[in-house]
Amino acid sequence: MTKRRDILVYAVLAGVLVAGLIVLFFVGPRWLSTPGPVQPGAAAGAAEARKIRARLFFVGPDGERLSPVEQEVPLGDGPAEQARRIVEAELSAPPTTYASPIPAGTKLKTIFLTPKGEAYLDLSPEVRTNHPGGTTNEVLTVYALVNALTWNLPAITGVQILVDGKEVDTLAGHLDLRRPLEQDLTYANGQSSPQ
Amino acid sequence: MITSVTTRRVFHAVYALLGLFLASLLSGLSGLSGLSGVVSGQAPGSGGSVTVLSRDGRRPLPAVEVQGHSMVGLDDLANLFQLTIREDAAPRAVTVTYKDRTIVLTPDQALASMSGRLVSLPAPLTRQGRRWLVPVEFAGVALPLIYDTKLDYRPDSRLLIVGDMRVPHVVALYDDTGNILRVTLGITPKAMTSIVQDQNRLLVRIDADALDPALLPPPQQNFLTGIRATEPNTIQMDLGSRFASYRSSTPISTGAAAQLTIDLLPAAGESTSAGPAPAPPEPNASNLPVFGGARSSIRTIVLDPGHGGDDSGVKGTAGILEKDVALAVARRAKSVIEGRLGIRVLLTRDEDTKPDADTRAAVANNNKADLFISLHANGSPRESAQGALIYYLNLDHSGEEARRQSQADREVLSIYGGGSREFALLDWELAQAAHVQESAAFAGLIEQKMRAMANVSAVSVQKAPMRGLTAANMPAVLIEMGYLSNPAEEKTLSSAEFQSGVAQAIAEAVIAFRDYLEQAPR
Repeated sequence: MTKRRDILVYAVLAGVLVAGLIVLFFVGPRWLSTPGPVQPGAAAGAAEARKIRARLFFVGPDGERLSPVEQEVPLGDGPAEQARRIVEAELSAPPTTYASPIPAGTKLKTIFLTPKGEAYLDLSPEVRTNHPGGTTNEVLTVYALVNALTWNLPAITGVQILVDGKEVDTLAGHLDLRRPLEQDLTYANGQSSPQ
Repeated sequence: MITSVTTRRVFHAVYALLGLFLASLLSGLSGLSGLSGVVSGQAPGSGGSVTVLSRDGRRPLPAVEVQGHSMVGLDDLANLFQLTIREDAAPRAVTVTYKDRTIVLTPDQALASMSGRLVSLPAPLTRQGRRWLVPVEFAGVALPLIYDTKLDYRPDSRLLIVGDMRVPHVVALYDDTGNILRVTLGITPKAMTSIVQDQNRLLVRIDADALDPALLPPPQQNFLTGIRATEPNTIQMDLGSRFASYRSSTPISTGAAAQLTIDLLPAAGESTSAGPAPAPPEPNASNLPVFGGARSSIRTIVLDPGHGGDDSGVKGTAGILEKDVALAVARRAKSVIEGRLGIRVLLTRDEDTKPDADTRAAVANNNKADLFISLHANGSPRESAQGALIYYLNLDHSGEEARRQSQADREVLSIYGGGSREFALLDWELAQAAHVQESAAFAGLIEQKMRAMANVSAVSVQKAPMRGLTAANMPAVLIEMGYLSNPAEEKTLSSAEFQSGVAQAIAEAVIAFRDYLEQAPR
């Protein structure tokens, strides 16, 4: 009786083992091929801790143009998430020798991408209410965001800024924000298009 | 950790054994692409080819279309650029090496990794049979990171330029007035040009190694039957039956670009009625808005003091407000221009109110103004920023389309008193598109006069997508007179002397622009 039960148990275990191996053959490679820290393709959990080097744009010493600054930005899971990480980095404080082109208190509410490669960036009202005005200030604010996204994510071809979920004419009365803006490195020091 | 490593070894052994049994099965399961590592999705279609342009000449780089993306073979790139391609099984990756520098590509990831730096690609590495394909943009954004020669990929023309070659982008725009066909060649970056007529062809030679052309067909065949680029650096214009002669302007530099205007003219004795849909002379025709017709001298100017009302604009550290400076200068300029030049000047606001952008443009459009000048004072995060900036409208792709469309969409409408008249149908939002060239010229004149009359040392002309200029159906500029964020310039901007100087500079620029219009080819 005991012997027959043992045989039955072994048969069940063998069946489970074979089934498990077959399943692992189909699923396992994804576990096993998890790359090291510099390899793209990490699982979502690991992505949180990994970084990419992104080119951000802050105000240079002349106060009239943007300076490119290479910074580490968390790796995002997919283009929209990566875009969000880049914008959040652009909204953060710059290195000490640079000034931020973004009005104080500005937060990213949401970002979404269209299949046409346009990014819609919904910012909090502070981007307008705290804006100091002037064409130069407005150019720096807008193109810091547009260039950071289009430079680092070439699939994004245009960026439209929304405020509190709504389309706006301008931030401070100058630049036309009623449709997506393309990358323009005219306002950035020592830049040429990567494309 | 030991358990993990041991487990991996066991799994790899099992995979090897099972792989022998299931290899034939997998080869039949092409739909399960995740198993085979082939990311095909759909059968590749024809993607044409990319032209590789170098000092050695042109050569095609075959491309295929996969899921809407133009892809090229890594093997082809390896042959072109002496790359080494290596495929790693675990973790599954492909390395592209040039000398001692390496890019890592991973299937299913639209990324390229080079020494920890990630570059986004429009599509992931894809396998097609025995070949690995990458989006063609890889050659422009990732390969330059390891290659020791400049690589520049132009997606619109599908050109991959290798090395420091002068390959300007050339666009052709047309203005068909019926009796003259004006062809404007935009050349970016700017380059010297020369024009020669060779029988029934007009050849524009551009000082460059090659051309990156975007040439739309001409709107009609009377003057010009075709236009194309011929190697290495010539734009060939095939002339039509009405062509008799041509005149060309000196190329105008607008920032990094140059614009060359060529007017194709009919025979001197040819009746103007030969043109399509001429405007018949009507007793009240002078009161009607004329779009794209003959230009008269400057009769009306609209000055637009920026901001106003609850919108103060920039506020200086000493409390000077942009809206007040703008209005003060506008009033002074109105006085100077009306007094010296006898030109009617209207203000979009003459008190502390805030008209919206469309209302301001409507003042100019409804009064058939010949110039629109918006006045502002600037602000920067740095107190040290200084000087004046003159802006004109920067057209993006949609704006260029609007400009072209404005020349194509013409309609003959009946007018009061009998007869008919040809109108160009303009999108209100992009009315400025038809005037950008003249706006750039006027901005250049303002720059000159600001230096001379207002004693401003740092003045420059820039273009930007300015909201307040888009709807102006006449040459239009925005002047940032100085920085209120700079304490010294704040003091200057509020002084009567400086404000009068700016007013004089605007008046002088108007005179120069009137001369420019009279001398420019029509």
